[in-house]
Amino acid sequence: MLHRRHAAAKILAALALLISMATLPPAYSFGWPAYAIILVTMAAIARLPALGLLGAAAAVLPFALCFAVMIALAGDPARGVWLIIRAYLSSVTALLLVATTPMPELIAGLEWLRTPRFLAQVMQFLYRYLIVLIAEASATRQAMMLRAGSAPALRFRQAAAAAGSLFARAYARAQAIHRAMVARGFDGHLPTSAKAHFQWADAGLLATAIVLSAGVRILLR
Amino acid sequence: MHIPDGFLSMPVWATMDAVAAPSIAYLARRAQRQFDHNKVPLMGVMGAFIFAAQMINFPVGAGTSSHLVGGALLSFTLGPAAASIVMTAILAMQALIFQDGGLLALGTNVFNMAIAGVLAGWLPYVLLRGRRSGLFIGGFVSVLTSATLALSELWLSDVRMPPAGLAVSMGVFLLSAIAEGAITLAVMQALEGIEPGFVRRPREIGARGAVVTLAAVAGTLAAVGVLIASERPDWVEKLAGQNGLVLPVRTLLASPPAKYFAGLAALLAIYALCTGISRALGRPIIAPRTD
Repeated sequence: MLHRRHAAAKILAALALLISMATLPPAYSFGWPAYAIILVTMAAIARLPALGLLGAAAAVLPFALCFAVMIALAGDPARGVWLIIRAYLSSVTALLLVATTPMPELIAGLEWLRTPRFLAQVMQFLYRYLIVLIAEASATRQAMMLRAGSAPALRFRQAAAAAGSLFARAYARAQAIHRAMVARGFDGHLPTSAKAHFQWADAGLLATAIVLSAGVRILLR
Repeated sequence: MHIPDGFLSMPVWATMDAVAAPSIAYLARRAQRQFDHNKVPLMGVMGAFIFAAQMINFPVGAGTSSHLVGGALLSFTLGPAAASIVMTAILAMQALIFQDGGLLALGTNVFNMAIAGVLAGWLPYVLLRGRRSGLFIGGFVSVLTSATLALSELWLSDVRMPPAGLAVSMGVFLLSAIAEGAITLAVMQALEGIEPGFVRRPREIGARGAVVTLAAVAGTLAAVGVLIASERPDWVEKLAGQNGLVLPVRTLLASPPAKYFAGLAALLAIYALCTGISRALGRPIIAPRTD
């Protein structure tokens, strides 16, 4: 089961696959089914809905298509096609990682991999308050639209005022959060729930991913 | 402006990852000194604010609307180091949660938006001592820098646009940059109205700050310069061609990554030379006051 594996192992495994795909020259792009099989197999092991995964990864396609068309017009359609395939498969890989790892664990995995602690903790708080602030922004936006004039210049000023008041509220909320945390004994270190240890199963997953990525890459040459 | 995975060639994304990682480590330490660990919730909430504020639509004419990117705004309110860290957190979360930008390309996006974009936005603000023009220019230059860097990285990865596409892209970047300048200025003014004294008064950046900034600007110019450098021979090559000499330099630097590195290496060499000369010339002409 992929869900229980250590986040750092999953991150490194995803990176191995991504690097393998990224270093393959366009001439050998016929080998893409190998990567697709690896990804689909992993998704099956993790019991993720395959169609949902593949559909969500399609978000990268419009951007990729634009550039592929441009490259094709410049005279190299094979590279354009490989761009689309590679962008899509990379997106599936990243989604696999995110779908099998809760975000706080994922960030803790990044910290395990020597991401600066300050940055990792900012990310934790960002994630925690993202939903809260999006809800507040939504309410502010609705209030703004209800009170909005019809002239674009007026609406621009109102949008700026909305953003400004959102900023001030967010800042004040952050101060309140900080005071509440200090009142409860916060000393700068966020407690992690279960200290995850790197187990043999994690090493096994990572080794499998590296072997597969390197193997496919070398075989495809 | 967030580059997904699969677009960049390996020399480009590997280099940018290698550049971004130690830079962010340095900036994290610097930010931690200015805002001790207790302020981490503030950074996180500011990041969430930028995320959320991107939902607010600013009408920019002709029925279109733009939204705040936020690098410049963050640098004005939190200072450039903290702003870089918050932007990095935002970019990482956008890549992970929304697939907006790739994982291997994260270093590139971080350099473009969280390092270069923030610095480019902050400089005009400091140099113009916090005047309104500084706020506008800061927002403008921040977005323009990030977008141009992204385009040049794609160019170096052989993802080329036909000239028409390039012109359209630059046009779009200019419009987005103007919108960002206007939005940043407007939001800062609104903030000043809500909570006067909230906005950080920019302090003098000092000699070290100036050196770091100039180095960053020079590095960025070297990177972007590859994009716009003319292919036509300069006068040296022309003379050599006329006299039948084949310059070996031309063939050595044929590949784009080599040009990129050569530009940066030349910059470092010039910097070392200038530093060496200034050290050697050391003695001040006028003795410093000792009273």
